[in-house]
Order: sequence, then structure tokens, then C-alpha cells
Amino acid sequence: MISRNDKTSELLDVFRRMWLIRAFEEKASLLYAERQIAGLLHLSIGQEAVAVGACSLLRKNDYVFGGHRSHGHAIACGADINKLMAELAGRTTGYCGGKGGSMHIVAKETGFITATGVVGGTIPLALGAAFAAKERKNGQLAVVFFGDGAGQAGAFHESLNIASLWKLPAIFVCENNGYAEFTPLSAHTKVERLAQHAETYGIVASTVDGNDLLAVRAVMTGAVKKCRNDKGPVFIECLTHRLRGHYEGDPAKYRELAQLLEWKKQDPIVRVERVLRKKKLATSRDLEAIEAEARTLVEKAAEFALTSPLPAAEEIVRDVMA
Amino acid sequence: MLPKTSRESLLELCRRMFVIRHFEESLVPLHDKGVFGGHYHLYIGQEATGVPAISCLRADDYLFTTHRNHGHLLARGADPKKLFAEILGRADGLNKGKGGSFHSVAPSLGFLHSSGVVAGIIPLSTGTAYAAKAQKNGRITVCLFGDGSLEEGAAPEAFNLASLYKLPVLFLCENNGKYGAGRAAAAAQSSTMAAYPLTDLPRAYKIPAQQIDGMDAGLVHATISDAVEKIRGGKGPQFIEAQTVRYPGSETNWPTVPQPTDTSLAWDVGSVPEKAREWYRSCDPVLIFIRELVEAKQATKEEVAGIERQVKIDIAAAVEFAVNSPYPKPQEAERDFFAQS
Amino acid sequence: MRELAYYEAKFEALDEIMASDQRVHLINGTFLSLSPHRHVFQNLKQKYGERMVAPPISELGFCGLATGAAMAGLRPIVDLSTGSFIYEAWPQVANEAANAFSMSGGQTRVPVVFHLFHGLRGGGAAQHSGSPQGMLWNCPGLEIAIPSSPRDVKGLLKSAVASDNPTIFVDHTRLLDIRGEVPENDKPIPFGVADVKRAGRDVTVIATSYTVQVALRAAATLAQEGIEAEVIDPRTLVPFDLATILQSVEKTHRVVIADETHQSCGVAAEVAARIAESGFDKLKAPIRRVSTLDVPVPYSPPLEAHIGPSEERISDAVRATLA
Repeated sequence: MISRNDKTSELLDVFRRMWLIRAFEEKASLLYAERQIAGLLHLSIGQEAVAVGACSLLRKNDYVFGGHRSHGHAIACGADINKLMAELAGRTTGYCGGKGGSMHIVAKETGFITATGVVGGTIPLALGAAFAAKERKNGQLAVVFFGDGAGQAGAFHESLNIASLWKLPAIFVCENNGYAEFTPLSAHTKVERLAQHAETYGIVASTVDGNDLLAVRAVMTGAVKKCRNDKGPVFIECLTHRLRGHYEGDPAKYRELAQLLEWKKQDPIVRVERVLRKKKLATSRDLEAIEAEARTLVEKAAEFALTSPLPAAEEIVRDVMA
Repeated sequence: MLPKTSRESLLELCRRMFVIRHFEESLVPLHDKGVFGGHYHLYIGQEATGVPAISCLRADDYLFTTHRNHGHLLARGADPKKLFAEILGRADGLNKGKGGSFHSVAPSLGFLHSSGVVAGIIPLSTGTAYAAKAQKNGRITVCLFGDGSLEEGAAPEAFNLASLYKLPVLFLCENNGKYGAGRAAAAAQSSTMAAYPLTDLPRAYKIPAQQIDGMDAGLVHATISDAVEKIRGGKGPQFIEAQTVRYPGSETNWPTVPQPTDTSLAWDVGSVPEKAREWYRSCDPVLIFIRELVEAKQATKEEVAGIERQVKIDIAAAVEFAVNSPYPKPQEAERDFFAQS
Repeated sequence: MRELAYYEAKFEALDEIMASDQRVHLINGTFLSLSPHRHVFQNLKQKYGERMVAPPISELGFCGLATGAAMAGLRPIVDLSTGSFIYEAWPQVANEAANAFSMSGGQTRVPVVFHLFHGLRGGGAAQHSGSPQGMLWNCPGLEIAIPSSPRDVKGLLKSAVASDNPTIFVDHTRLLDIRGEVPENDKPIPFGVADVKRAGRDVTVIATSYTVQVALRAAATLAQEGIEAEVIDPRTLVPFDLATILQSVEKTHRVVIADETHQSCGVAAEVAARIAESGFDKLKAPIRRVSTLDVPVPYSPPLEAHIGPSEERISDAVRATLA
């Protein structure tokens, strides 16, 4: 359903961003296969509705923290995909001059403060940003994205406790994609809904269909309002599924094909398209144009990245200290 | 209420409570005189939790304890002479003087490692439980820790593992701050823990959890016996929060003894300084226990006083032993930090 | 000149820092340890209570909180109290705070100060006597300040807070009561500038933290034997002032390094390596290290005394280099 608050133009914008993430990551996957991207590449294909749904409701001066699977979060915040692709390819024109790579994206101008290669590593950091935001009393807030795997980290629990005690304007967005790295959540905890942990610490929590853009936006709207009015923190658990492996090249043998096919039917992009068509907000042609535009932009980003220089050896001693 | 057990057992529980009480009351002046250094923590006020709880265990069960470990070791039957010597850093100590109050151990009694890090033992306790389960030897592990440990991420991490792997471990949380320093009365939330009641934390992991009065030896005995039976029966971890009222001598950074314990106080607290009197009147678990013993006619006042007298003699001898025990040779510092194969 | 106790100078620094910079927050507060002077800290609470918090026992959580707050523009000083407790927060200190600036290509600044009390403190046993600065020196991206005098603690704490980098502020409870000159309106002490605590011609003794005080006592004893030791305190490990040390070695040709980290990969090891690499031709004797022996710190007083960099061990090492 489309709420009254979702104006057509805004919804199409948000939808465009979902396609931008999808196209970006599909291209990244190809470049990875061609060995243009080093290390490990974690894709969020299938989870775009969470990143876009949540970030589309933020202000530029809010703080957003991601994890190891965070290209989507950065793009949802409005990151420049040229610099992002260049970073993935380790080029000097990348967001971090090539020193960060896929897992350490920073796009400060968009509010995307940092990603991390450590599971749960940014949860306490978001707490700090929320702490700083609360001090300023200007309605700023912090959002942190993490997976269900982080729910078993001590830092996660300590952060929920502190956020609750100090009523910090933090929104914890747990993308429960059912798998922590290579094993299903049930192998990591007996807790089915990570939102339960938040409730234990007295934090308002809800679980939503993370593949439903409009549902994510609806619950996020309420969370943002709460935090801006100093009524935080809020915990949102988004049930979703990554359609790729844990990282590119992961054969994902732990997952049944039938299950994957079932989730493919729930593809968040397809679901928004269905709504847009049904409500006659966009024709098939419009939708095709949006996809084509995203793919063109991504092709350009890839070209930008691959024609950018790799950093010179002297760079290693630079930027070690401020 | 009194534990449902034989008269002999009740008198032995009584004796062990006295051992803890007089051991620690003797410790405080030794520290004040500079006989040993470093920080240390008293178990006084929690005897009716530790003594009956530990009496429910099998001889080969594992126990993990914290910086507040003297009571647990003594309840399990550790030699007071060796524990004193350890705290004084002597060669005859439980750890040959290398552990001190924080880290006193007694492997033969199941205490493999005592940690001075808050919550440091909680993950370790899941490790021994995991091993026991793998070896199918029927041993359980009891992890004894304070309420502050629950603020550490290590605690939920360990609860999660224990629940997930259905480990034979009893998490016995001794909340000695029921009305104590830094905590408002029980109905209010603490300034450092958002979860209330504390049993919500293990329950989130589907670990059965209950809150009990830790000053009621009979209730502790019944609850722990039941939990131990379930755990040994393969039903996975259990969590029990035993609430006690903090000993007034532990409310300062460095422990004090507001009033040396004596059996006579069970019926007359007139000699206790007024500030601490209420605790001795209604919250001192040792005095509660001996009152119940006498009221139930399991022992006369004279018998109880006799037990206490002998404990005092034993403790005095233990102090004497420890003070006269030699310090380890300096070269000992360079030994025993790698196991020899 | 005005004389202050170390704890007074440290308190004065905190007071002036809190007054002059509203971005500074104190996360946890045992800056005066469990010393008899800890009540002094209450004065700060009255003045700046709204910028001071007492977190739960959650090092991992609150060190991350401080690091994130620093990324978002605050200048938190987070107190870990006992130095070994930083191991509970290792993921946040060593893997997030230290790497953030470099990993982001120079974008994310992390002006956080991690304050801790390291070292042998009497009965601390193996879990409360850690000197993690050696390990932390192995984490590029962290600055490390390590004062030894009232004047230094004040001046270095100010520079630590002013720094745009995550800084480890390594203190020692045994310093809290020593007295020394602290000029009024003293300037912050810049990082990377060593201080010659005692001049001498025969041997260069490099020491840090409380061991500087021990080395000065050893130097006084040695002077009675006609040996003049020059005692140098680097004051910060990162950045490290090698030039001042090499100048001294040029004159003395002999080096003893005294420090409380464990010997292997400890502070003395790194200092020795740097001198050997850059000043080998100036040396007339092997460099000697007086570090904490490579064993977990034992509890018993004589054992503890045996493993630390004592006056006797320092004096013996000095005599050995001259033999």
C-alpha cells in the first residue's frame, strides 16, 4: 500500500535509488569476477528496501553507520557512485583514496559516517554519534544498520543498555536476513526475533517485512519522529533475505534452492514495481527507463573507476595521523 | 526457612557459614595493618546463598567465581589456612602466592579459575559445561557472579551460547545490591541496567530464570537442588538471581567490620552500632539461620555457640599459619607460567 | 616556582580542559584512581556534571561510544581505570579508533582520549597490573602519552585532548602523590619532545612513567659511586623523540632502558631497536633493558617486586654497561 505521505514523485525517487543500488552491485559483482575488485565483496542484493526505506527519511546531518554489507546504505544516503566504485576498485579517486575498500566506505558529505569490517563494530559508534546529537538538542539522530549476526555480540547488548539508560536518539536497524555469514540464525541463537533483545532493555521495538519498501518507510517515519522529539531510542528489525552469498564467490550451499526461489518472488524491487503499476503511478516503460538510467550511471561509474589511477606507493605513509 | 536435610547437614551448613563469617572478619584487620596489599572483597551477607547452594553439588562439579570468591571457596570446603596464606601472598597459599584474593583457586574442589574481571568468568563457565557435555560425565558447572556482570557484553554472549548448546550450567547471580549502594529500592530501575527484572536477560535466551530471596537458606537449598537436578538431567542452563542486602561493611571502597559476629547477636543486637543495627537484626543471613535452627529445635543456643567457638579457634590458627608462612622465593616469579608437557 | 602534587596538577588540567572546551566529555571517572584524593574529583562533578557520565561496566560499549562521539565532533576522555581493562575494549580501540582515519583516506578524525592506569600497583596480580602501551604501540594510528611528573601530566593531558588522533593516556597510580614544580599558566607540552630529567655524562638511562622516578633514585645512588647517569623521559611513545636520545648517547656511549611493559616486544625493546638502528656507531657497550620480566604479574609482594624495573635492577644494569 502507498500511504498518503508518499507522494508519487518522492516514491519514484526512492525507487530510482533502489535500482541504483541493484545495478551498482550487479556491476560490482561482474568487476569482482574480473578481479578488478580485491578482497571480499559483500552484496546486499535483495535487501535494498531496508537501506532505501530507512535512509530516504533522514536529513543530511543525521549520522548513518553501516557494516560490512553497506554499499547500499551509502548509496541510499546519496553517496557518489563514481567515488564508491572507485573505492571498491582501490583507486585514488575513491571515497577513501583506496585505503578503505568495500568494507570501509565513508561518505561523510551524505551523513554516511563509516562502515566496518567487524560484525557489530559500528553499533557502539552510532551510540556515540547519538550521544553527541543529543547534546546539541537540534533533532539530529543516528542510525546504525547491522545484521542478525551482530545480535550475538556483546557490544550489541551493551549498546542497547546504554542507549536505553541515556535515552539516546539512535535507531537500530537490524537487517535480519536469516543468515549470519554461512549459517542460519537458528544456529546462532534461540532467539527468533532480535527485536526481543531491545524489548528486554526497555526499547521500543518492532519487526517488519524488510522487503516491503512502504512498510519500512512507515515504521521508520515513526522512529525518526520519536528520536527527533528526544523519545529515542528505537529498534527496527527488518526481515529480509540476501539473494547472493555471504560474499561474492560464496557457493551458499547452506541454502535450499527452493528457499532462494521463494525469496526471489519477494524481490523488493519487483514488489515496488507491482505497486507502482497497480496504482498506475508508472507505466512499464517508465519502469524500464528507471532501470536503464541506473545501469547507464553505473556503467559510467565503472568506467570512471577503472580509468582512475591506482595509488602510488608513497601513499602508504600519508594520512596515518591527522 | 531451614533446608530440608538432616540435622547433621544443618549443623555443617551452620559451621560453614561461621567459617566464612569469621574468616573474613579476621581478614579486614590484617589488611588494615598492611599485612597484605591490593583490593579485596567480602562475601559477608551472602552466606545463606553460597553455603546451601554449593552443598547441592556433586564433588566433581565445576565452579567459577569472581573477585568475591572467599565465601564460595570456603563453602565448598577449601582449607582456610591455605586461603589466608594466598591472600597474604605466601608460599603456602592456594596459588602459591601468585593469585591473591582476586584469583584464589582450588582445582581439586572444582574451582579452576577465578577472575577479577567483571563477567570474565561467564564465558569460561560455558566452556567447562561444554566439555562436560561432550564427555558425558554428568558434571555441571555453577557460575557465581554479581549483578554488575550483567552489564558486560560477555554475559549475553555466554547466555546465548549456553542456551543454544543446551549446556549444563547454572548461572547463579548474587544480587547483593537489593537495597545497597548505587541502587534504589527494588522496584526502581538501576542507573546502570535498563533491563528489569534482571531475569528478563536470560529469559530472552529461553533460559529458565527465577528470582529468590538469597537470605533464606531453605529456599536457596530447595531452588538450587531442583535446578541442579534439571541441569544434570540434560535440560540445559538455568538462571537464578539470589537477592541479598549488602553488608554494611562492604558499602565503602575498603571493607570494614561494623560489628564482630557472635551467636548472641541472633537474639540481641543492642551492642551493634546503630547505623548497622538493622542489617544485623533482619538481614544477616547467618543470624537468621541460627535463629531458625534454635527455633526448630535442631540445635540449642549452646550447641550453636559451641560450633562458633571451634570455628573461631580454627580461624585464629589459620591466621597464625598464614602470617608465619614464608613468602615465595623471588625466583618463583619466573616459574610456572608455561605448562610442561 | 609553584609546587603541586601530581594528582593536583592532573585535576587542574582536567578542570581547565573542561572549562575551556565544551566538546570535552568525561566518560567514566576514576582519573585519580582509588587514591585517597579521589574525592577531589567530586569538585569536577559539581562544575561539569552535565558533561560527565558513569557508564555501566561495558568497556566495549563505552569505548565505542567515546570513539563514535569523537567521530561526531565531541572530544571525549574515556577512563578505563585499570589499564588491563582496555583488553575488554580492544575491538573498539585497536580495530576501530586506530584505523578509522587512515582507512577512510584521511576523512574521519577520532579525537578521543583513552585514559588508563598501567603497571605494578601493589597486589594487583596478573589481571590488574597490565601495561598495554607496548601492544598499543603496535597499533599504528594511536598516539601514546605517558607522563612521569606533575608538570608533564598537566601539559600532556592538554595536548592529548587537543590532538585530532585517538590518544592513549597512560598514567600510573604510584605517581599520584609525588610533588614537583608546575608553573601557573603553563603551556601544553607538545607531543614528541623528550625531557632530560637529570643530566649526566657516563650513561643514558631512558625511562617512562613511574619508572622515571625509580631511575632518578637509582641515579642518585650511582652518583655516590661516581657514576653520572643522564635520565631521559620520552614523555610520548607516539610520536617518539629519538633525536634527544641520540644526542645523549653521542656523549655517554652507553644506554640502559627502564620501563614497566613486559620485555618481549615491550617499550624498551622498541627503544633499543631504534637506538641500535640509528646510533650503533655511538655505542661502546650493548644496550641493556630493564623491563618487567616476561611473566604474568604475580600477586605476592616479593614476587611482584622481583619482576619490576627496580632501583637495584636499574643500578646493576648501569654498572654492567660500564664494566
